[in-house]
Amino acid sequence: MSLLAELQAFFAVYALKWPEWSGPMGRAVIVTLQITALAYALGLVVGLVVALGRLSRNPFLRRAAAVYVEVARGVPALVVLFLIYYGLVPLGVVLDAVPAAVIGLGLSAGGYVAEIVRAGIGATHRGQREAGASIGLTPLGVYRFILIPQAARIALPPLVGVLIAVLKDSSLASLISAPDIMLRAKDISSSDFLPLHILLVAGALYFVLALPLSAAASALERRMSRGLKSRP
Amino acid sequence: MFERVPYYIGVLLKGATVTVGITLGALAIALALGLALAVLRTTRLPLARPFVRSWVEVFRDIPPLTQLFIIYFGLTYVGIRLDPFTAAVVGLGLNGSAYCAEIFRSGFSAVHHGQREAAASIGMTPMRAMRFVVFPQAFRVTLPPLANYAIGLIKDTAVASAVAAPEILFRARNLTSETFETPLIYLLVAILYFCLTFPIARLVDRLEARRKAWA
Repeated sequence: MSLLAELQAFFAVYALKWPEWSGPMGRAVIVTLQITALAYALGLVVGLVVALGRLSRNPFLRRAAAVYVEVARGVPALVVLFLIYYGLVPLGVVLDAVPAAVIGLGLSAGGYVAEIVRAGIGATHRGQREAGASIGLTPLGVYRFILIPQAARIALPPLVGVLIAVLKDSSLASLISAPDIMLRAKDISSSDFLPLHILLVAGALYFVLALPLSAAASALERRMSRGLKSRP
Repeated sequence: MFERVPYYIGVLLKGATVTVGITLGALAIALALGLALAVLRTTRLPLARPFVRSWVEVFRDIPPLTQLFIIYFGLTYVGIRLDPFTAAVVGLGLNGSAYCAEIFRSGFSAVHHGQREAAASIGMTPMRAMRFVVFPQAFRVTLPPLANYAIGLIKDTAVASAVAAPEILFRARNLTSETFETPLIYLLVAILYFCLTFPIARLVDRLEARRKAWA
């Protein structure tokens, strides 16, 4: 059989199987998006709190926040998921797979978010903070009106990068049996004996979900660096 | 409760050698392929740029776990059977080639184009200009992001446990099925991964501090 005919036969399987696959895979996409969105939201909150901890005047808070960042960035997200999903059971904490995945991925992403936010706020000149205080803004007001708007410009593109990373890491939730794209793909591949077909669908789905985010990250990076790059 | 800790650590350390093996194998593929892709992008061959860009986008946007499953389970459909270790090395290597290609690309573009022109004007071939002028300067810029990539790679090797490669996490899962000290075992796993990645993270910090001192 020629290569072209083989390819044709390969893709003909999709025409036959897609009506059967589209339902479960569609639901799986929704689970993947839910895990991603919730974990990212948790990651932003955790990251913001940890970043403020690293910038605080209290040495204990600073140290604790630094340790959190090092640990969150040094331990694989999958290990965090296993620790939360399987590891806490003997201690009486039994979580469903989806909440466990959200918590694990969120805690893991928090370490990256914290570093990005810290770098963003650290890049604003010290005089900005002093100027804010000198016109009578409260410390919170300084953050709200002076530091965060300037830090956002630096932090926004890498924060989109974290969203892409969380989307990809959400595939790990399948390994603690959350019914996401990868788990459904694996189920279908073992029931239909068509592993390559369905796994390529899974890959394509992640690609289609990540591509617009990746394009947005590059566009944001160009937009946000406007006027900054020209300086030597 | 802690009397079995030395036994656990012994088993996990055996897994760590496999983790390091997968990391080094995948790193070699990612560096070689990434460099080739980045150099290909600088050539004037037709379709070189769109090819490299699509390669990077595809391998970067699909989760490593999905790529690994396609290679380990998917390719059996066309008669290619890889053992778990090889599948992990190839899968993570291909995934990493996209990251390395981007790192090398930004390294090359950080070298002023006058350097390349100067090399050409003293009669160097493009390959020699790459070897003696562009690469040594780009290397300095690419080292910190490459080390960061290596940290990510060590963490990504944990997905190899899903195809039964006998690395740290796979051994831990076996341990948890023979005992019930699950929290302790996974805590030891987390500490072990941390011990593997932390020295590289420190190295990145030092490299970046040095680069700032030069700038």
